[in-house]
Amino acid sequence: MKGMKPRDRILTALKRGVPDRVPWIENDIEEGLQARIMETTEFTPGQLCDKLGMDGFGYHFPMGGQATAGQAMQAAVGFKESYYYPKKITFDFVPPWIAEMGVIPETGRTFVKRGLLTSNDSLKLFEEYLPDPDHPARYEQVSKWIAQFKGDYAVFARIRLGSASMLESMGIVEFAYNVYDNPGLIKEIHRRFSEWSAKVVEHLNRMDFDYYWVNDDHADTKSTWMSREQYQEFFLPYQKIVAQAIKKPWVFHSDGNLLPILDDLLTLGMNGLHPIQPSAMDIKQIKERYGNRVCILGNIDLDYTLTLGTPDEVDKEVRERIAAAGPGGGYIVTSANSLTDYCKTENVWAMAHAIKKYGKYPLDKGENR
Amino acid sequence: MPEITTLKEELQQAIIKGKRDAVEPLVRKLLFDGLNPEAIMNDVMIPAMDVVGDQYSRNEIFLPEMMIAARAMNIGLDILRPMLTAQGALGKGKVVIGSVKGDIHDVGKNIVSMVLQGAGYEVIDLGIDVAPEKFIEAIHQHQPKFVLMSALITLTMSMMDETIWTFKKAGVREKVKIGVGGAPLTQKFADQIGADFYGKDARAAVIKCNTLI
Repeated sequence: MKGMKPRDRILTALKRGVPDRVPWIENDIEEGLQARIMETTEFTPGQLCDKLGMDGFGYHFPMGGQATAGQAMQAAVGFKESYYYPKKITFDFVPPWIAEMGVIPETGRTFVKRGLLTSNDSLKLFEEYLPDPDHPARYEQVSKWIAQFKGDYAVFARIRLGSASMLESMGIVEFAYNVYDNPGLIKEIHRRFSEWSAKVVEHLNRMDFDYYWVNDDHADTKSTWMSREQYQEFFLPYQKIVAQAIKKPWVFHSDGNLLPILDDLLTLGMNGLHPIQPSAMDIKQIKERYGNRVCILGNIDLDYTLTLGTPDEVDKEVRERIAAAGPGGGYIVTSANSLTDYCKTENVWAMAHAIKKYGKYPLDKGENR
Repeated sequence: MPEITTLKEELQQAIIKGKRDAVEPLVRKLLFDGLNPEAIMNDVMIPAMDVVGDQYSRNEIFLPEMMIAARAMNIGLDILRPMLTAQGALGKGKVVIGSVKGDIHDVGKNIVSMVLQGAGYEVIDLGIDVAPEKFIEAIHQHQPKFVLMSALITLTMSMMDETIWTFKKAGVREKVKIGVGGAPLTQKFADQIGADFYGKDARAAVIKCNTLI
């Protein structure tokens, strides 16, 4: 029997249904790893999916140019022009950090040296840094890429609720102090980023994206960076601005242990929760407690298995995760963050093969056992 | 005039609740009443931060509460520091801390840094992407008791190994106790690379340092 189309496989799982097999999609595959898998930088997103047996794509691609580090943390200098007129294939619609940025020369990775939104006076920087969310150029260009490359694949746009933008643009220490010193500043910063994202989403809703992947880190492996009450006061009302604008399925991403706020977070109505970091949360427990409310994505370990482990260990982990979260549908295999360029290539292939081997529904048949 | 015992309790509560404006007058009152600076730090302020650290470990309080408590503690320490230095009793010693070369993440390292300061350590924060040579330079310059290294991703974990190896080559390994931390780390990894300890979070780092002083 002919299987489902990759896009239908993803969308079925996101609706917590049972597809023909457990789908596979990644929040990001760093360009260096893409190039190693394809053995060239001249390829289309669909060709990468086809080679790996992956069900969809978003993020960005080298398109024949040099494979570079992620675009999500670009510096502000020249950001607006590069945002409106992207030079390489991208499906990202995230604002820049309003921050002093640094770069590691050896890798080209950028990082936040210091958040700049630390006072009421600094709010004027929004105008300088944020691109016009209604500028048509990026939407037109990305629409062309979707039409050109989509085929049968699920295509997602990466956006933010505004929380990560607020935290990075203030700095975590300034955020912590201002919860008590100047709560209004945090709320105003979050509101402005969220309203920017909501405007962007209104445009994206009219495009041929299948879903959104919403990236906003809230936690480390110990716990969230805020209490439940602080989440309700400083985050949730502003996240709702974006959530209510979204008219497609969406996946929420935050690393770390989200349990202190998870019940409130899920009221935003996302379809998927990613990446269930193994060192922070137990996927079996999450599936049991929340699997009737949200599709589970992720949990293939990046701290050891994909980066330092062996192909056999990857195979075993994929089998165990599918056994834990696959029954009844509503599970999509992904790494527990993204496929970074320091993942072993042979482990990515082991992941691809294991998903095919163990992920076929019904799960209690044949090699799945 | 309030009893010294009451003032001590008020100072502890001011630190636990992060009430920075209350800390300075209370410390000055205790000094005026004749309490030794070292006793204020060791018997009043550090126990207050222990309470905060325990609450943070149990998720009874979160980052904002811990950070404002550490800030309040530091205000008190700033007043006491010149007197403690004069007495030759400046806290628990120096800690050099940094994210290892190639690692650009600093949230965890910053949290550990603040909590260590709150626990009475003098912290020299070298920032992110810290090369082994920069750590060595800091060891020569500051003579710390501890060097703490952070890595958030597996890619940079191996740099911890290389850093320790460079310490050995430079003859400074035995001059310091080395602690490591970060999301992908384990006790096993810390043992493999020859670190003195692994701290799974900020509170654990303080406890490990306290036991090794």
